[in-house]
Amino acid sequence: MANIQLTGIQKKWGAVWGVKDVNIDIADEELLVLLGPSGCGKTTTMRMIAGLEMPSEGDILMDGELMNEIDARDRDVAMVFQGYALYPNMTIYDNIRFPLRMRGVPKSEQDMLVRRAADMVEMGDYLDRKPSALSGGQRQRAALARAVVRQPQVFLMDEPLSNLDAKLRQAMRIQIKHLQRQLKITTVYVTHDQIEAMTLADRIVIMDSGSIQQIGTPDDIYSDPANTFVASFIGSPPMNIVSGKISNGTFASEGISVPGLSLDFNGPAKLGIRPEDCRVPNSKEETTHLKGSVYGVEPTGDMTYLSIKVGRDMFEVKAARDYRSDLGIDQEIVFDTDRLYFFDDKTGQRIR
Amino acid sequence: MASVRKSRGENLFIRYLILGAWALFCLMPVLWFLTIGLRPRVEIITPQPVYFPTFSLEAWRMIWEDWPMAKYLLNSVAAIFGSVVIDLVLAIPAAYSLARYKYRGRDDIGFYILSTRMMAPAIVAIPIFFLFRNMGLLDSVWALMLVYAAINLSIVTWIIRSYMLDIPKELEDAARTDGASDMRILWEIITPAILPGIITAAVIAMIFAINEFLFTLLIASTPNAYTMSVALANFTGGSDGVIYNAIALVSFLAFVPVFLVVLLIQKHLSRGLTMGAVKG
Repeated sequence: MANIQLTGIQKKWGAVWGVKDVNIDIADEELLVLLGPSGCGKTTTMRMIAGLEMPSEGDILMDGELMNEIDARDRDVAMVFQGYALYPNMTIYDNIRFPLRMRGVPKSEQDMLVRRAADMVEMGDYLDRKPSALSGGQRQRAALARAVVRQPQVFLMDEPLSNLDAKLRQAMRIQIKHLQRQLKITTVYVTHDQIEAMTLADRIVIMDSGSIQQIGTPDDIYSDPANTFVASFIGSPPMNIVSGKISNGTFASEGISVPGLSLDFNGPAKLGIRPEDCRVPNSKEETTHLKGSVYGVEPTGDMTYLSIKVGRDMFEVKAARDYRSDLGIDQEIVFDTDRLYFFDDKTGQRIR
Repeated sequence: MASVRKSRGENLFIRYLILGAWALFCLMPVLWFLTIGLRPRVEIITPQPVYFPTFSLEAWRMIWEDWPMAKYLLNSVAAIFGSVVIDLVLAIPAAYSLARYKYRGRDDIGFYILSTRMMAPAIVAIPIFFLFRNMGLLDSVWALMLVYAAINLSIVTWIIRSYMLDIPKELEDAARTDGASDMRILWEIITPAILPGIITAAVIAMIFAINEFLFTLLIASTPNAYTMSVALANFTGGSDGVIYNAIALVSFLAFVPVFLVVLLIQKHLSRGLTMGAVKG
């Protein structure tokens, strides 16, 4: 129920950069995911939105109102933490009621609001328990209830699912997305898990070493990466990226040759292609782009991961589920030439 | 299997035997005090060993009837209890500040607080005497309260601080975004979460205060403000000679409450005494 603008945000501790020049416009009711490896500045950015850290430079606006000098407790923001951060000495009921109490919500309304929030995350039966008597998933649901109970302007979630096991994580992911859509609260979600980012986000902000690498919808980020960092960070297994050279519309490197490119570029470059955009040729006559030797074959049931060694590089290919091969034998590979990405060899930026 | 079980049982028996012997050895002085305290004075000072001691409440009557022991006991309890309350009220916010806020000189202040504990008490004894005399506080339980509080404030602060450092910062961040002020975070979130640490610190301060002698002797110049520890010293003087059975009985009485409290919280106590070993 608020839009957020971050303009020229920087955060420095002495000589250490936390965040360098971050500019993001977060739309009302949007679910924005900050994605990146640990230490990339995503959590710091979120903490600045929360008011738990002050930016060294730049402005934070909510609904056009400058927030820089406003203390965390006076911003209408609720946060969910990786470690749940439930108050250990209070029951779940008192935990959920705490923000209402702090903000002076009339006593007569508190009980109703607590019960409604608990029911939203199916925690109504656990209100009398202490946090220590709950499982990880229940604790995180209780923490969610505490965040939703006062209907804040903004939700901030700092890796809320990282402490949960894989199965629970998926269930909670769906629940979080459902809650966010239902309550229509602007949400910033921090994670290092690309699957979480892809499945939850309206838009993803990819960060690395304090800078934004790309902002876009999950589709944009996946199919139109701005640089090698984004290209290799998203996708599992990650995109294959090999160094080579483009001359006269042909990319060439050891064992790889891709002719017929409509690129106005000559010189050293990197080729990127996702494992699912490579395949084993259907017939001997088909034109292939890569020649290497089989290094590994990993059937997963619904498909087979094929690793091909080309020169010094390893190439991952998603092959058909019935593909089998002995190791060490020669294998040619066909690329989907509509889905090739080229990057500047030095800067890593996309060549378009 | 049977033989294994049997040998294990024997093992256990031997272990208990050794531990029991050790416990008896450690408790011997205490039991000895008790037996001295409950025998007539004449019997204690005979040079021959007495194998079947006579039970007597002579010392017991003496300390309560001939001496104002009830008053000393009350003085002790009031001074100690009051000092611990003062310590906690001051130390909890101080420890929070040292544990969580970043400001210039924080570590120096922390070290300064602790360094008051490193000083030999005799160095400040005379200045403290004059200080209290000038304030007209000599010979008063209130003065003892203040002195005990001052002596123990550093250690109480540091113990509580070490417990506070173990509280995840997320907890405070959560409370802050939930709308709590620093004071409410301290009293509603932090303090309940470190209650074991606070109790530990209070008990340690209590033990130090019970055993305090030097400052008590200086400040309590008449029996009006004597505590148990100073009263004990008074059994050793005067025309009656050394009254061993009364000394032993008072020592025992002073020991028992501390012993019981330590027994109750010993798990937390060891944590409190090793504070700084892991996080300083």
